[in-house]
Amino acid sequence: MPLINLPAFAGDLLADFERLKTLRVDTPVIQPAEPFLDMAGEDLRRRIFMTESETGESLCLRPEFTIPVCLRHIETATGTPQRYAYLGEVFRQRREGPNEFYQAGIEDLGDPDTAMADARAIGDAMLVLANRLPGERLTVTLGDQSVFEAVIAACGLPAGWQKRLIHAFGDQKQLERLLAELADQRSPGVFGPEVERVAILGMLEDEERLVAHIGKTMKATGYSTNASRSPRDIARRLKEKVELAATRLDKATLALMREFLALDLPLTDASAALHAFAGKAQLELGDALALFDARVAALAEVGADPGLIRYRAAFGRPLDYYTGLVFEIVVEGTPAVLAGGGRFDRLLTLLGAREHIPAVGFSLWLDRIEQAIAASGRAK
Amino acid sequence: MTITIALPSKGRMKDEASAIFERAGMKITAVGNDRSYRGRVEGWDGVEIAFLSASEIAREIGSGAVDFGVTGEDLVREGLADADARVEFSARLGFGHADVVVAVPEVWYDVDTMADLGDVAADFRARHGRRLAIATKYWRLTQQFFSGSHGIQLYRIVESLGATEGAPASGSADIIVDITSTGSTLKANHLKILSDGVILRSEACLVRARKASHDGNAVVDRIVAAVRGAL
Repeated sequence: MPLINLPAFAGDLLADFERLKTLRVDTPVIQPAEPFLDMAGEDLRRRIFMTESETGESLCLRPEFTIPVCLRHIETATGTPQRYAYLGEVFRQRREGPNEFYQAGIEDLGDPDTAMADARAIGDAMLVLANRLPGERLTVTLGDQSVFEAVIAACGLPAGWQKRLIHAFGDQKQLERLLAELADQRSPGVFGPEVERVAILGMLEDEERLVAHIGKTMKATGYSTNASRSPRDIARRLKEKVELAATRLDKATLALMREFLALDLPLTDASAALHAFAGKAQLELGDALALFDARVAALAEVGADPGLIRYRAAFGRPLDYYTGLVFEIVVEGTPAVLAGGGRFDRLLTLLGAREHIPAVGFSLWLDRIEQAIAASGRAK
Repeated sequence: MTITIALPSKGRMKDEASAIFERAGMKITAVGNDRSYRGRVEGWDGVEIAFLSASEIAREIGSGAVDFGVTGEDLVREGLADADARVEFSARLGFGHADVVVAVPEVWYDVDTMADLGDVAADFRARHGRRLAIATKYWRLTQQFFSGSHGIQLYRIVESLGATEGAPASGSADIIVDITSTGSTLKANHLKILSDGVILRSEACLVRARKASHDGNAVVDRIVAAVRGAL
């Protein structure tokens, strides 16, 4: 379908995608809204265009491609590995810029070689951007949630705190708030009067008795024990919460975490810096650092210029299906993100895939690229 | 220019609002008969009264169709994006008190704060195959509070237009965001308010639409001064 508002470079971009051995796919513009709201949360509701079918099904105009491409992959039961490419219009309510614009990108599903697939996503994004913007210097910011996860695990925090911090990773304000709370020696956690009662009855140490007690209370108060959280869920989390309340970060560990989160340096120095940090702090970061190093090596292999890449330890996305690598690409010295990508190993199972399918990809903001091309032309 | 004040069309809100205006020296009389939806203020030419439902009032102030309105702060903040930029809360009137709160089943012994709820929400999908469901009619306030103030994004809103407190027991949602004045309905449904779960302490307010034509308008200033003086 030739659309006259397509960016002029769309044809060249698609030719690039084909040379990169991807399978071009299209997805309907009108999509069921549920998967988007389920994956990204209710906040998305204000930023997408929703409507309802005659039968009451929530529908929306495609706000992005990753979820539709993955759903299509699951529905058509296509085998892996598989590399998809897409180019089409997406629709979002934006404060700045038009509400409909083009995105293109690549989703790489099912490649078990994590480091190589990560490197290829970054390399491909850099390549197609460089082809559109010859003579402009691109810079890539790279983050890695798995390194953060390894650091907090190595610090010996209880599971509940690790989950909290991982969940907040990428949301700098929330992360700061949690660290401050963790370090606050006076913050004992809030417990209701019922908890005191079950503690006095000695049930906190006896999971089976506590589960039975909660189950009985639920039935007596008219709550079904299986419609929502089960008595065992509540009993287990209560134990976790008692642990959470009892854990305070000592000053040294807090300083260590802050030091880690402040890391922001060229990728060429990042491996050495992370190893030095782990050594000095006596933290065992084994697998996460091995993957990090392997990714750096793979980047060299795919021909990505490591001199253009910076590692920022605090860079992440606070969505639960992002699991490792995240990256963004800009023209050096400008704020507009032209490409964003990352690894989302949990997304396909969340969307209903039967087996675990590792996945990594990126998307390009074609309207911003058009503006960057125009600005680049003006500057010359 | 005529200044229009929208007042609640029935019930206690109407009576209490009328009483305050009378104390303020602005006695309101209905035009025509008692059930008329238009009124005037004795001795105040150029001011007219429109009797509307409380939620309509919030919308009409937001669009600038009326100049002033008496309605609950909760309805204004729920109904309008960017409420403070579009309207001014000129006076808090001291009646119609109600809190918009986050309430969870009492039996959730492990949940007493928003942080606890954040932990539960983060794990919910993995354990139950769906997101945490919140029954509410307050979409906007819920979103602002959960993601804006507490970094909680992974939940789904189940719209509920009545008997929201019953949703957790009936299994149609896990928790609720609702309005409460005495807390007795929550208690009767075995729900508890989180210790940091008060989203808004609402009451009836005199609300003014921010309009350029109000600048330097003596009648507008006199209305605000009169109502404030009567409190």
